[in-house]
Amino acid sequence: MPEAENPIHMADREGVKLVHLKASALLDEQEVEALGQALLDLAEIPGQRVVLSFLGVTHITSVVLNKLVLVQRRLQESGGEMRLADIDPHVYEMFTITRLDRNFRIFERDEEAVASFLGGAEG
Amino acid sequence: MSPKAPQTDSAGPWIRKVLPTELERIREPEHEVLARMRDLGYDEDHRFAVRLALEEALVNAMKHGNKMDPSRRVRVEYRVLPAQVEIHVADEGEGFDPGRVPDPTCDENLSKPCGRGIMLMRCYMDEVAYAGNGREVHMVKYRRT
Repeated sequence: MPEAENPIHMADREGVKLVHLKASALLDEQEVEALGQALLDLAEIPGQRVVLSFLGVTHITSVVLNKLVLVQRRLQESGGEMRLADIDPHVYEMFTITRLDRNFRIFERDEEAVASFLGGAEG
Repeated sequence: MSPKAPQTDSAGPWIRKVLPTELERIREPEHEVLARMRDLGYDEDHRFAVRLALEEALVNAMKHGNKMDPSRRVRVEYRVLPAQVEIHVADEGEGFDPGRVPDPTCDENLSKPCGRGIMLMRCYMDEVAYAGNGREVHMVKYRRT
């Protein structure tokens, strides 16, 4: 089975990892696994703060939601946290229907989410 | 409510496909259903809902039903009509009791990384009914203007 292409782009903003997804729809099983593994690797770092931007993402499934829940749990176990940003209205509705908007702080834009970790904007 | 057997009637014919248990094969019926919905003028809300429900049903059938066993198949039948979209998915697994799937929105389940697919199907479709000990699911989305 071919190895999945790295589905994310990651940047460091004053200690906050800002993660952007490359695809508009996270559907491929290997892509979702690769995303989950990349985020779980970040959770290995104690106190890691992560902002995951959904900019341009118009479709996900419960597999992605479940993966994000797992990542958030691991991050919080090591004193970190993941916050979300740039979520399409349809995708955002999935978070509210499943009540996962209670598990994640969600911001309109990634800059606001990064700033919230740095003592700036509140979500 | 038990699902209606997908039989061709005056409303229109069903498209029937038998898929191997390979996740990448989900795209084919998905693309066909969405293309037909687009042709009939369904808006983005309807297309998002049907795409999500179809994908969740097919992933459930392959992963949880057939347990990714390549010797098992998934049967998918659908018809896209001007007033509604109907989808029927059947796997060859052991079955399950949909009534015993924990509610993922309960506080004690919010941090569990599982159990959201069926809930999303029920939320986004107007009718979701199981039969065959959970091996078959029938879903309907009605057009709203």
